[in-house]
Amino acid sequence: MKTRVIISIAAVSLGLLIAAVPQNTTRPYKVNPDQMLTEVKGGQQFISPEEVADMIVQKDPSIQLIDVRNANEFAQYSLPGAINIPLESILNEEYEEILNQDIKTNILYSNGNMHANEAWMLLRQLGYKNNYVLMGGLNYWFEAIMNPAGPGNAVASEEIAKYNFRKAAGSALGSDGSGLSADSTATTVTTSPVPVKTEKKKKKPVSGGCS
Amino acid sequence: MGPLAPYEIISESSNFLFAFLIGIGFGFVLEQAGFSSSRKLAGVFYGYDMVVVKVFFTGAITAMLGLLFFSLFGWVDLDLVYVNETFLWSSIVGGVIMGLGFIMGGYCPGTSFCGASIGKIDALFFIGGLFIGVLIFTEGYPLWEGLYKAENMGAPKISTWFGLSDGFFALLVIFMAVAMFWIAEWAEKKFPREEY
Amino acid sequence: MQVRQVVICIKPFNDKPMEKVKKMKYMNPYIAGVLLGLVLLAANFIAGRGLGLSGAVKSAVISAVQTVAPSHAENASFYKEYKAQHSESPLKNWLVFQMLGVIVGAFVSGVISRRITWKVEHSPKITSRKRLVFAVMGGILFGFGSQLGRGCTSGAALSGMAVMSLGGFITMMAIFGTGFAMAYFFRKLWI
Repeated sequence: MKTRVIISIAAVSLGLLIAAVPQNTTRPYKVNPDQMLTEVKGGQQFISPEEVADMIVQKDPSIQLIDVRNANEFAQYSLPGAINIPLESILNEEYEEILNQDIKTNILYSNGNMHANEAWMLLRQLGYKNNYVLMGGLNYWFEAIMNPAGPGNAVASEEIAKYNFRKAAGSALGSDGSGLSADSTATTVTTSPVPVKTEKKKKKPVSGGCS
Repeated sequence: MGPLAPYEIISESSNFLFAFLIGIGFGFVLEQAGFSSSRKLAGVFYGYDMVVVKVFFTGAITAMLGLLFFSLFGWVDLDLVYVNETFLWSSIVGGVIMGLGFIMGGYCPGTSFCGASIGKIDALFFIGGLFIGVLIFTEGYPLWEGLYKAENMGAPKISTWFGLSDGFFALLVIFMAVAMFWIAEWAEKKFPREEY
Repeated sequence: MQVRQVVICIKPFNDKPMEKVKKMKYMNPYIAGVLLGLVLLAANFIAGRGLGLSGAVKSAVISAVQTVAPSHAENASFYKEYKAQHSESPLKNWLVFQMLGVIVGAFVSGVISRRITWKVEHSPKITSRKRLVFAVMGGILFGFGSQLGRGCTSGAALSGMAVMSLGGFITMMAIFGTGFAMAYFFRKLWI
């Protein structure tokens, strides 16, 4: 029958074509400019040092600190449990599984805001979620947590509580010998749990088959 | 970029509407091809009617090629398209039981709805059986829960499993399909049956 | 395209031979296959999933049990597990809507091709009654097997092949392999 022949020829030709062409690995921008602007202006990507300090002290397993400075600076000092993904290498394939997943909350930090924010914007445009920026970076971290300024007299109890918390957190972190150890180098990258690729699916997993 | 629903380009209600429309297309094509007739369906096991092979393989390679080309053009993100999970033992045992049901009943769930829709009484009885079968499964679930959940291999693709690229695997399936087309035509000539 | 002649029994439960002959053309199977592939492609593009019917039957059963025997549905393990994973009503499910479409689509096709008629299909060597008994038994087996296998020929085999799922392929081989193996024992039903 003629139909059979036509279909076979068409299928084989297309099959040869699709087998020969390399698979599409482009990563398109998934967030349009308006959306991006709204998010940037809203500053929702920031997370305060108090929150982060709290999570570290509680040993919260759901966060992952990511240092986007270069390897030297990382070796000199880094936050406890942080891994180093330098900004220049952030698009490398090997880091994609860490940066593009929805199990852990990634907290990007640098000395100030600038580099961590740059990293965040890049990742956001690729459509990655779950990445946040440590507000103020390491500079503010030291100010706020490690050497918190004492509240003046007659201030709101909130301020006092905040100061006490910071002091406690700071000592907890300081005395934990945070990051000053030389072995928190890039090798910690491999010990980070690498989420299974299938987890990349959106929070509402696509169901199929029988379900 | 597709798929539309997972990217929330369309709402859930729109998705359900599309489900209905797609179902209409599905039912229409199946019935047009003759899948509403149990004798035509069972024919694949005896050679006298190979419509199942022809339609099935053509459909599979069309959709497969379609998805791969869509992905190539950046129209669909294959990572978000559902791939059936592989639970080794329940896949096999379930398949064997279904095979027995197929040769006895002459229908599968999809085709039975088509048949029932045009008045085939045996299809209606088959559907009745379907409900009973599902109920037996759900009621006696603890008995086979172990088998049902055994050996979860995730959702691997055959191409990945054999270390082939998707495109190359598709080509292999196409070669297989073309071979099956010729075998099907040969079988129908060799095992003719009176018309029904 | 071949034109097939079909025999229509006026009284379905009676084995009186041909009383009426009507011409019906089925679509060219290859063209039908391409159309089917396009429908499947549309499903994957729009909803990110393939076709399937056994899931709709499962939804219907769960829904029925929840309505008729709600306390049982609270306690029996299957329904409990289902409820934990799906917060919405089982009928608010993509497959259920698709199933409704299938019924409509097949009906429309039947009307267009003038194939709407009550009929029991079977080989001349057995009675209608026997055919119906086997239809039910086949349905029971298929219903059970489709739950265990997480899909039927549409969901696991066809849709599974389109996305190259290993599980779908395994189930498909099991279905057709068993069918071929058992064909000899049930040949009287069909030929």
